[in-house]
This record gives sequence, structure tokens and C-alpha cells, in this order.
Amino acid sequence: MSTPTHHSTTHSLSTTGLTKSFGGVRAVDDASVTFHEGEINALIGPNGSGKTTFFNCVTGMIRPDSGTVSYQGRDVTGLPPHRIARSGIGRSFQLCRIFPRLTVLENVLVAVQPHGLLQRLRGSRNAADVGRARELLARVGIDHLEHAEARDISYGQQKLLELAGVLMGDPHTIMLDEPAGGVNPALVDRIADLVRELNAEGRTFIIVEHNMELVMGLSDHVVVFDRGRPIAQGTPAVVQDDPLVLEAYLGV
Amino acid sequence: MPNASSPTGAARPAASSPTGARPTAVRVARTAGLLALVAVVLLFPSLAADPFILSVGVVILSYAVLATSWNLVGGFTGYISLGHAAYSGLGGYATALLILRTGMNPWLALLAGGLIVAAVAIPVGIASLRVRGASFVITSIALVLILQLTFQSWHTFTGGSNGLRVPRPFGTEVLRPEQHERFFYLHAGLLALALLTWWLIERSRLGAGLKAIREDEDKAQALGVPTFAYKLTALVVSAFFTALGGGLYALWFGYLDPIFQFSILVGTYMVLMSLLGGVRSLFGPLLGAVVVGYAVEVFKSQYGDTQLHLVATGVLLGLVVLFMPDGVIPALTSFVNRRRGAASIREVSAEELAQQREEAAR
Amino acid sequence: MTGALFAQSLVLGILLGGLYALLAAGLTLYFGVMRVVMIAHSAFLILAAYLAWFFHERSGLDPLLSLVITVPLFFVVGYGMQRFLVSRLRPISLTTMSVLLTFAVALTIEGLLGFVWTGTQRRVQLPYSGTSLEVFGVSIAVVKLIAFALAALSLGALYLILRKTSFGRALRATTQHPEAARLVGIDTDRVAGLGFGLGLATAAIGGTALALDYTIYPSLHWHWIGPLMAIIVVGGLGSIPGAAIAAMLLGVAASLLQVPLGTTWAQTVFYLALFVTLMIRPQGFFGGRLAQRF
Repeated sequence: MSTPTHHSTTHSLSTTGLTKSFGGVRAVDDASVTFHEGEINALIGPNGSGKTTFFNCVTGMIRPDSGTVSYQGRDVTGLPPHRIARSGIGRSFQLCRIFPRLTVLENVLVAVQPHGLLQRLRGSRNAADVGRARELLARVGIDHLEHAEARDISYGQQKLLELAGVLMGDPHTIMLDEPAGGVNPALVDRIADLVRELNAEGRTFIIVEHNMELVMGLSDHVVVFDRGRPIAQGTPAVVQDDPLVLEAYLGV
Repeated sequence: MPNASSPTGAARPAASSPTGARPTAVRVARTAGLLALVAVVLLFPSLAADPFILSVGVVILSYAVLATSWNLVGGFTGYISLGHAAYSGLGGYATALLILRTGMNPWLALLAGGLIVAAVAIPVGIASLRVRGASFVITSIALVLILQLTFQSWHTFTGGSNGLRVPRPFGTEVLRPEQHERFFYLHAGLLALALLTWWLIERSRLGAGLKAIREDEDKAQALGVPTFAYKLTALVVSAFFTALGGGLYALWFGYLDPIFQFSILVGTYMVLMSLLGGVRSLFGPLLGAVVVGYAVEVFKSQYGDTQLHLVATGVLLGLVVLFMPDGVIPALTSFVNRRRGAASIREVSAEELAQQREEAAR
Repeated sequence: MTGALFAQSLVLGILLGGLYALLAAGLTLYFGVMRVVMIAHSAFLILAAYLAWFFHERSGLDPLLSLVITVPLFFVVGYGMQRFLVSRLRPISLTTMSVLLTFAVALTIEGLLGFVWTGTQRRVQLPYSGTSLEVFGVSIAVVKLIAFALAALSLGALYLILRKTSFGRALRATTQHPEAARLVGIDTDRVAGLGFGLGLATAAIGGTALALDYTIYPSLHWHWIGPLMAIIVVGGLGSIPGAAIAAMLLGVAASLLQVPLGTTWAQTVFYLALFVTLMIRPQGFFGGRLAQRF
């Protein structure tokens, strides 16, 4: 796995003064966040605190009104999503998004999109790509389903499929939007194990999650969002005791 | 969610190890079907009872070329163009004008016309593909309307509303039935080329990206698919083949009238044929072209100039959109399959993939 | 261009722009409540013009009186069209499929008009058809003034409905944020239906105004839908004031260009504006937050 070569910082992804409004409401408000390189970062906060909008700004799905996103020492603010994906940031979506009418294997193969017209005209099912896609499907445990259409597999399997698709792009940083949302406890454990394994290989994670048990058990670094900006950050233990966090969550 | 409790559990469609016999059977059936199709096309001119029937055959093949070309963008990306008549019309005019103004060889003019139209599609695509959804279809309609206006008015260059006579590539010594036959084969050749292109793209990484765009454009982009460049590529390739179709038809028909060249109705036929036959399949538009093209010709000869064919087209399109947006043939197939048991479709595709795996490994 | 000619073209442009503005407002309503591009809008416009002509032919009464029938009729048809046709489409491909569906409706209407009343060009002959008024040295046909007055009054009424009534508030809420509107208890499906009805009512009024001054034939709607779509894109999809401003500007521009270029080439200004807008500012020039997302 690659390590940050330039900038002697220990973080690869950070934002400065990131702001995005929708019709007068500031969904993300002057958010400056630094994620820890090589660690499992969690992004938590009450509903509507702007976590998903923040995700979308970072990954280029939404263009921020102001502020910057920098990744591995490079300003990536406002780049189109596919450029950000190719710079090494993979993401999943809230509620899980897969390509319903493509097969499970095809879903994973979408992520192989090389530069250059001739490369793109090559067969999408060449042995090397298919081999790697199968490996990833095996890794998340759904390789036996590769010929099924993605809409026919269960929701939990779709979540695993989405993760396999993200991994196909070999991202250095992986952003997961509610990986445990809507899945059963057994699968939550499985996803948590996968995240740990992948992290041990050197991949950085940034996870938006409501399942506090998962967050506290899994993450090294927690950033708490409220009203569009970070109000606290630190280790799970530190954050848990922060009065601001209690206030934001419980409205005390 | 039946399988939520066991992430590694089996999915409903059984994707078990393919049996040895089935893939060969499927492959044989496929090859036989393809050979039969080729045979029908090759033999049609000698079987056609009279030149009129043969000319209907040419018209239907021309529709098939246009619909298959349309599907290169509509089917892959899901972006519906109602104004593809702009590209076929421009292809016809470009070919004719190149021959008339520069004395170019007609076949060279046809190819050059296709390339010119492909170049025209680039700015159109840049304008209409950056934003999602409505802009593309609005622009496509506007393009036909504006071209109809200009080609009707620009008398000195296009012949205006008087139309334009296209010189025939085969001299007058070639008799009418012979003309029809030659153009029948030429159209069949172009159709084969368009189908081959579709097939090649379908299997490529470009094709995988395009299909992902059709399914979920945001998601595709998040996985690194350069969606805009891909959509533009599909549009340009589609415009090129559509223009060749328009140009070849112009060479056969020998006359261009802006009202019919830049007709909203022709664009609608392309959409209807593709939707009817199924936009996700290679031969869907061809099948739709045979059905709709035949119906259009019958309607014209039965009811002549009345506006009933507009009503019929409108009602048919409405019904397809409302009840069978995936196409009539796919809807029927899945209906039949559901009655026979759900697994069959999936098994076939599993076997196909297994087959490709074998091929790749070889 | 002489001063008098310029003034004449300018006034004609404003009068035409008023009609465009009313019709574009209707298109904007559909897009606002449902994210639907209603291609059949101008086909209904021509249908209303035919009904006005037919009403006049049969009764001998002023075609303006046909509004009493066509406006409620179109409102009901619009409501029904949304509830029974458009709402059946899958949300995921709604914008594209609704274009196809309303396009199919437009073809059907055009075909039926041609079938019932043939392709012959029709024109309403009224006692005041040839009368003109002299205003500031500019001579203007009375029928054009009536058409403009009708359009201006309807736009004003539309504005009042949207701004001052509780239905208007519900409609604006639905346009801006459907989920939030549902959360505060607005029946967004019904609102969308009524919005469609209101949009189609503008087509009824526009069509009647059109019948006073234009020769009509079944395929005439294509000459209207192109400019109207250009107007709503330039104005910013979903913005009624944007549509009105764009309608006025482009109407005047087309009218002024008509003198040196002729009618046909002047029409191209709409399409040129459409392409330029999409090239440099795809979300439109006047508002239109919605366009970015659709």
C-alpha cells in the first residue's frame, strides 16, 4: 500500500472551511476536519447534522460553496467524482447503491475504467480483471452469486457487493456511508471484520455510522458533527465523555 | 429479505455449476438463429415477389439501421433522443451535397458525410450531456426543429423546400429491381456493421461503464467512470452510424425533402422500434424495426394520407412507455419465464459467463 | 431599420412575449411539481385554438367565450393526466419517460386534429380582425392586444394563486421540497395533480388567444414547443419569473430580428439561446436551482 510521500503530515485527507448551503440552510458550515491517515476514522452526529452532505462535498458529488478539500497534499476541491475516485478515494452510499440489472460480477467490473480510448475498448471480461473481481467477491463472501442479477440478491449481500465494487478500484481511502444501516447483527460483525482486515493492509477508513456500539468498538479516531461542523474529535473514549457531544445528541 | 440472516447464503436464482450439455445447446441454438437470420436476409431479394416488396424490404432494413444506431446511445446510456432524425437527415444532405458540390465519389461522400455528422454531434453532446435528464431530450427535439427550419429556408445551399435531387451511384443502365437489390444488400451490410459495433462495445470496458451510467450515474461516477466522456463517445458513434443510414437511404431514394428528412416522426420511429424490441438487447431494435416498419408501410398503403398513423404511433408509444418500458419482447420473455419457473433466465446467463470464462482461459 | 419600424417590432415582440410567458409559466408548473417536461403542452394549445375556432364556427359567438368551456375542461384533463398517466411512471426514470409519454400524447392530439378537422389551415374571421389601434405612432392589431391582455391577466391571476392562497403555498412547498411538504401534511400527489390542471388551463387560455390572431393547422404545435422549451431552459427549469423574463427577452429578440432576417431565420434565435445557455450556464440564467439536479 502506498504511504504519503510528500507533506510530512500524518493525515492524507482534510478539509478547510468547507461550506455548502441549500436554499439558505447551511448543511455544511465552515467545516475544517483532518482525518487520521492509516486509521479507522468515524464521523458521527445527530440526524441532519450534515454528514452525508460533507461526504458528498469531499467526493465531488456536490460542489461546495467555499472551502477546500485536500488529499495527499493536493487540492481536489470541485474535481468531478470520477477524478476523485481515481485519486484513491472510494466511497459507498447511504442505503447502498448497486447497479440492479447488471450481474454481481459485472457490478464489480465497472470499477475498472482505464485511461485511454484503446484500453477502454478492450474486453471488460479479460482474465486478469475477472480474476481480481472474483477474489474480491470471495473476500466479501458472495462469490457464489457472481452470475445473479444484483437486484435479485438480498440487501445484506448488496451491501457486501457495493464494498467489493469499491475495493476493485483499489482505493487508499475508503468512505462508507452507514455500512451497518439496515443489516442484521451477524452481518454487522462481518463488515466490521472486513474493515479491520482492510485497515490492517494500510487502507484508511472514514465511516459515517449511527450504530454507536460499532463506532466505539471499531474506530481509532472519532469526529463529531453538529449543525454542519465538527464540535469534537478524539479517541472514542474521549469523545464519549465530551459534554458538547452529549448536548448535541441528547439536547441537554 | 429472505437471505438477510446469512450473508453467505444462496441467492434465489440458483447459479450452480453449469452442466456440460446446456451451454453447447445454447451456443448451437444461437449460431443456428444467427445463420437463419443471415440466410433470410440474403435470400429475401430472390424470394420477393415484385420490386415493390423488395423496396419495402429496403425501407425496413433502413429503419433497422437507424434503430440499431439509435440504440448505441439510447440503449447503453438510457439517454433518450427523440431527435435522431437530425443525424440521419444531415447524413443524407451531407452525402448529397458533397456529391453535387464537389463531385466526390458517392461512397466516399457517404463516409465523409458520416464523419461530418459525427463531428457535429460533439458540440451538441457537450451542450446537452453535462446536465442530467431533461436537457438531452429537449436539445434533441430542438435540433430537429432548427434543422428543418434552416434546410427549408436556405434555398441557395440546400435547395430549400423544393428538395434536393441526389445523383444515383449506379448509372441509369441499372434497372429499378436491380437498384433495389443492390441497396438491399448495402443496407444489410451497414446493419451488420452497426450490430457488430454494438456487440463489441457491449463486451468492452466502455460498455460496462455505459451500462453502469444507465443504471445509476452517480454511482458509476463514484466508481471512477468518466461519465461525460463516455456518454459523448456513445452519442458520437451513434450519430455516425445514424448518418451513414441516412446517407445510404438518400443514395437509394434519390431525393431529399427537408420535411421528411428532419421529421420528428422518423425520430419517434427509432425510439419506438428500440423500446418495443428492447433496448438492452443486440437484436431488439432490429426486431422492433421489422414490426413497426412493416406496420408503418401497411398503414401508409391502407389509409394513405390520413393522420391515423400519427394517432397509432402516439398511442402505441404511450402504451409501451406506461406498461412495458423495458420493451414488449423482454416483457413477454420474462412473463413466459416466470410461468416456467424463475430460474431459467439466470441459468442461461450463468452458463454464458461460464462459457466466456472458458474462452478467456484458453 | 427606421425608428418607426423598430418601435413596431418592439411592441409586437412584447405582445408575443406575453403569450410566450403565459405558456412557459404553464410548462414551468409541470416541471416544478413533478419534474416533468410536458411536450404535449403546445399540442393542447393548438387543441384549444381549434376548439375556439370550432365554437365560433358553430355558434357564431366570439371565440373568447369558448374559454368558459375550455378552461375548466383542460383543468380537469390536466388533473386526470397527472393522476392516471404521469403518476404511473417509475420515479427513477420519471423525467425521461414523462417526455416520451407526453410526446406520445402530443402525437395523438396532432393526429386526431388532422383526422377530425383535416390538415386544412383554419382561421377565425371576426368583425374586428382587421382593426388596428394607433398607439404612439405604432399601429397594432386589436386581436394582438386582446391576446396580450388575456395573457397578462392570466399571468397575474396565476401569480395571485401561487402567492396568496393556501393552495399556492402548498404548491410552492411541493416544488421546493416534496419530502418536507409531505412531512408537514401536504398531500403532494393531489397538489401535483392540481398543478397539472393549472398548467393545462394556461394552454386553454393561450390557445384561445392564439386562435384570434393566427392561422392554425394540426402540426403547428411543433413551432411552439421548440421556442417554449428554449425559454424554460434559458429561464432556468422550474422558475416562473425566470421563464417570464426569458419569454419577454426572446420574444422581443425574435420580433426585432424578423425585420432584417425574415420570420424563419428569426425563429432560430430561440434555439441559439438554448444551445448557448446549455453551453455556458446549464442551470439557466434566472434562478432555477432545480435544473442542476435534473
